[in-house]
Amino acid sequence: MRNPLSSKSLPARLLVAALLVYACRTGHAGLFGKSQTPPQWGLDASKTHTPDYAKDAAAIILFDEYVETVDANGRAVEREREAIRILKSQGRGNTCEVNYDVDEKINYFRVWTIAADEKQYQAQDTDFTEEGDTSVPIMLSTRKYRIAHPPAVDVGATIICESEELMEPYLQEKVWSIQNGIPIAFQALEIDLPAGRAHTQSWHNSKPFQPVEVAPNHWRWELKDMPALTLRDIPSRPEWAAIAARMSVQWGDAAVEGNDNQWRAIGQWVTTLEADRPAPSPEIAAQVQTLIAGAPDFYAKLTPITDFIQKNIRYFVVLRGIGGLQANHAADIFHNKYGDCKDKTTLLISMLQVAGINAFYVPVDDRRGIVDPADPSLFGNHMITAIEIPPDVQDPRLMAIVKAKDGKRYLIFDPTDERTPVGNLRSALQDSYGTLAAGPASQIIALPVLAPDANGTERKGVFTISPDGTLTGSVDTSHSGPEGAELRTILKYSDEKERRESLETAVAHDLPGVVLNSFQFVQPAALDKPLELHYKLTEAQYAHQAGTFLLVRPRVVGTHVLPFDDKPRTVPIDLTATGRWHDSYDIALPPGYVVDETPDPVDADLDFASYHSAITAKDNHLH
Amino acid sequence: MRTHTFLRSTLLLLAISSPALVRAQFQQPTAEELKMTADPKAPGAAAVYLYREETTDDSLHFQTYYERIKVLTEKGKEQATIRIPYERGEFKVNDIKGRTIHSDGTIIPLTTKPSDLMEVKTNARQVNQMVFTLPSVEVGSIIEYRLQIDYSDTIVSSPTWELQKPFLVHKAHYFFNPESSGGHYITNNRGQTLDRIMWITSGVPLETVAHDGRGRFTVDVADIPATPSDDWMPPLNTLKWRVEFYYTYARSGVDFWDSEGKRWAKDAEHFTNPSGQLKNAASQIVSPADSDEQKARKIYAAVMKLDNTRFTRRKSEAERKAGKLKAIKDAEDVWKQQSGSDDEITLLYVALARAAGLKVWPMQVTDRGRAIFDPRFLSVSQLDDYIAIVEIGGKEVYIDPGQRMCPFGTLNWKHALASGFRLTEKDATLATTPAGTYKNAVVQRIADLTIDPSGAVNGTVRFVMIGPDAVHWRQLTLENDQEEVKKQFNESMQDQFPDGVQADFDHFLGLDDYEVNLVGVIKVNGNIGTATGKHFFLPGLFFESRAKHPFVAQDERLTPVDVRYAKMEQDDVTYRLPPGFNVESAPQTANAAWQDHALLKIGSQSTADSVRVVRTLAYNFTLLDPKDYQNLHDFYQKVATADQQQLVLTRAPVAKGN
Repeated sequence: MRNPLSSKSLPARLLVAALLVYACRTGHAGLFGKSQTPPQWGLDASKTHTPDYAKDAAAIILFDEYVETVDANGRAVEREREAIRILKSQGRGNTCEVNYDVDEKINYFRVWTIAADEKQYQAQDTDFTEEGDTSVPIMLSTRKYRIAHPPAVDVGATIICESEELMEPYLQEKVWSIQNGIPIAFQALEIDLPAGRAHTQSWHNSKPFQPVEVAPNHWRWELKDMPALTLRDIPSRPEWAAIAARMSVQWGDAAVEGNDNQWRAIGQWVTTLEADRPAPSPEIAAQVQTLIAGAPDFYAKLTPITDFIQKNIRYFVVLRGIGGLQANHAADIFHNKYGDCKDKTTLLISMLQVAGINAFYVPVDDRRGIVDPADPSLFGNHMITAIEIPPDVQDPRLMAIVKAKDGKRYLIFDPTDERTPVGNLRSALQDSYGTLAAGPASQIIALPVLAPDANGTERKGVFTISPDGTLTGSVDTSHSGPEGAELRTILKYSDEKERRESLETAVAHDLPGVVLNSFQFVQPAALDKPLELHYKLTEAQYAHQAGTFLLVRPRVVGTHVLPFDDKPRTVPIDLTATGRWHDSYDIALPPGYVVDETPDPVDADLDFASYHSAITAKDNHLH
Repeated sequence: MRTHTFLRSTLLLLAISSPALVRAQFQQPTAEELKMTADPKAPGAAAVYLYREETTDDSLHFQTYYERIKVLTEKGKEQATIRIPYERGEFKVNDIKGRTIHSDGTIIPLTTKPSDLMEVKTNARQVNQMVFTLPSVEVGSIIEYRLQIDYSDTIVSSPTWELQKPFLVHKAHYFFNPESSGGHYITNNRGQTLDRIMWITSGVPLETVAHDGRGRFTVDVADIPATPSDDWMPPLNTLKWRVEFYYTYARSGVDFWDSEGKRWAKDAEHFTNPSGQLKNAASQIVSPADSDEQKARKIYAAVMKLDNTRFTRRKSEAERKAGKLKAIKDAEDVWKQQSGSDDEITLLYVALARAAGLKVWPMQVTDRGRAIFDPRFLSVSQLDDYIAIVEIGGKEVYIDPGQRMCPFGTLNWKHALASGFRLTEKDATLATTPAGTYKNAVVQRIADLTIDPSGAVNGTVRFVMIGPDAVHWRQLTLENDQEEVKKQFNESMQDQFPDGVQADFDHFLGLDDYEVNLVGVIKVNGNIGTATGKHFFLPGLFFESRAKHPFVAQDERLTPVDVRYAKMEQDDVTYRLPPGFNVESAPQTANAAWQDHALLKIGSQSTADSVRVVRTLAYNFTLLDPKDYQNLHDFYQKVATADQQQLVLTRAPVAKGN
């Protein structure tokens, strides 16, 4: 099996993520060479001494070299040579793989092992498997993975892999993942370009390295001793790919001077790719006219259309070659009533167009921090929409607004998110970046961070404790914004039994012997109205007798603590979402008891957060 | 003579898990079906099957599937995507037709071409998925589709009909027309003629299978409940309603197992033949003066040292060729190569023990983590792993030489209470291994904690493990280095400590010696408890403050309970109190028992400067019938409540000086 953090699997998948930007998710056949002995480069790499910094690693990449040979049309043939040394028994899962889609072809893929005892083996036909990308139920993908299972992979062995692949014709960039879950002793990238073709480079979480021109317009970058990036057991950590170092090289239209120009070119490319997709059919036009009939203003026109997409278009991903990047036609999406993120965006743009509202594609990544304004690239995995707001519209319900460089205001909306109301924005997309694909006005945009009041939970509990310590009562919660949307989504994908079990498990975290007497979720049809949950419960022996005292925990259910520890912190903290969470509990104590003492109030105000907690007692009531 | 081979029917089982039929035309929906918004027979269900049909015609070599599904909720819309796994080359998926019918009667036909996607491909075979998505599915829609799977003339396919599906099935029809020769030309891979058809049922009576005068079978059922889904369920093979057919040479189940037992015994005897070389090896391992137990233990220790490829890896063909290693055919080959699979090493143990003059027998059992042996299911493919039974002092001792790090005289839990073939003095017979008791699976958690006046805690915790937990962590070291095992142990125990307490694993004791208790030593520190003006509250049961007790939330259950193995937890926690604090209230004595099944004991002792809290939880069962669930639920409710007790300290009055 491939190690999830194996030397090739992770970079390979990240690369695919880059290439299938709008596929909303990410993803080899081979000819076997006749040679029996490892190539000289592999023999040389295998002589590399294991550096001291790798002593804790399960494996190390001794050598990893990509050579991209670009033809006159900008299409690349990629050759990769890689040598991996197994350092620990759990490192045996590291192996090589090559993935390919319908527009790609593996020219060859050869693998050898130099065993710990120096014996040499070449992987045979039976040492390779091929896997499709069929594990995601809501996805149809034609990508395939050819995976090597080489012989003699024990501690001390070195795996040597060499492959060559004709890449898809429509992408003219290489995302070079220079950091991995295991250290890399030496790595190199070469771009061999036709005379006169320009290139640009950009770096993410790495200082820039300058290439050497090893032949006319043939550039080579070399890096040594890249440490492993492991985020294991780090609570509230950012996305791995957000902090892993990478580099992008452009040799197509985006190979122009200046970040702004590069982003503009990338946005222009997307604009052109999708240009004819949103064309409305008569059926779409008729549907829109029905939806917006009599709508008095911008918001009234907008919401029935976004609602329609959110509620009626089932999420289903189709990745087949260019189809991983290019949406289906709006008419087909409208007919089939299913599609992926770029399809939903396409249909939304189409319907808004009928309503006289301009909207644009915005390629993003739904993992915060992946898209980097300093690293112009198609790297990403999702597509959302920027809806142009007319200058005269000032509506407080439209919160997720960005202002472009030309002063135009855009409402950022994710039509794939079936539950977050238009005007708000899913938390994972906030504080991130996307490419506004608006033809010549294309640019990188910072996605907004919404005020805490746009998200959160209000929880009220009323309880009575009987003389034997039994707690009975009810809890009413109200979940707004993205948090409410997340709950609505969970409800969508669960049945009654699963909901009860999930709620019982959550409540039992605080009340281990709880009996849930009843529960009810209330989902208003309007997505901008909070989702409500009401439940009644009984917990025997909630209050414990201790001498003459009755011990009562005033915070009956729920917590808002994020995972944390006391270890020294080396990576940023991701707080997930802005929001406001408020709990209020009223507890009637058994007759005859008076409150002896309560915990002191807590007030903590920090730059990024505040916390206030207080308990008051009056007669035999706790609040 | 024509030669047939058996269809690898598991592939088709997968296929059947989604799909649809054949030459039957689409049914007209009734008005009731169209307007249906919920199903009183399946409250809260995301969807229901209105109708299912599966047919197998083994004479003409095709199967057909037809399904009509009513979508009742948003979640039910996911049924619109159909995936049909099949083995490419031998099978073809043809004639896919589908449509969506909205609740107003509008029909939207499937027009998109299905996608044929490769799922996995090796040098020997390729499995694909045929995938299609029905259009325009809404809540309230009826999804309807049908298809045909054709297979080659060299294959026969006795069907297995999985009657239970993820959702309730209102009505289903199944049909099987066997191979027309009456099976006279069907042979298995041993050349036996399979000229009979047998069948079993699970969940429905045997009489549900109707057999007509032309040798054809039909099953018609209604209101089949959804596949059960509960925590702590036994393997689904024991629960799922189904009908299975076999082409067989046997005249009865007894005849089948008798015949297969003889063949199995012959193979096992051949493999474990104590050759001269093995006798020589055995004589090097044991001495003539050794007792039977000493011999048995010495041989066990010797085979435990061999390269067990279950925990390392099997050598590839290239390596075997380079190393001039022959294919392993018997125990002598395993000994010569000092390497073998878990089963081969177990059989080597049997051979060496025999060579040393011990009475020892092999047994092959079903892995109870995967399935539970069902003798009505006439297939030896149920059997997974070998164990050995050695007679010592007139008693049979069950041992697990293929499970490295398993102590002598014990079985890995997945091989306990497991059934299969065993050899006896006379012949092979079906038998069941004994269940372990709670004394064979113990985890002791011993904590010595010092509390300071601010509520800070630090101290040492020792986890002492006997049985399955110890085997688990030790076996992990065979595939990982000790640092990785430590990390995984550290991660696994975090939720056993109270909020605010940081636990850092320090070291193991006895990790390499499977015959001693395994001890994990953990350093803890952090903040614990809540302070008020006069009082200080600590969790009374240190390890239980974040415990997720099973069987508490669910008050009714229709499926059996499988806890894998009987177990005992023993906690012994000493709190060393800060000066100036007195014990106001310690956890009260608790005794909860479910007779012959489970017990909980909690007790505490206080001194002037410490409190010791002792807790024992034991359960002495493995499998429980649903009728016992209420007792189990009641017991764990008591456990959950008792485990929430607090330790309350008060600040002693400060003596005023003169």
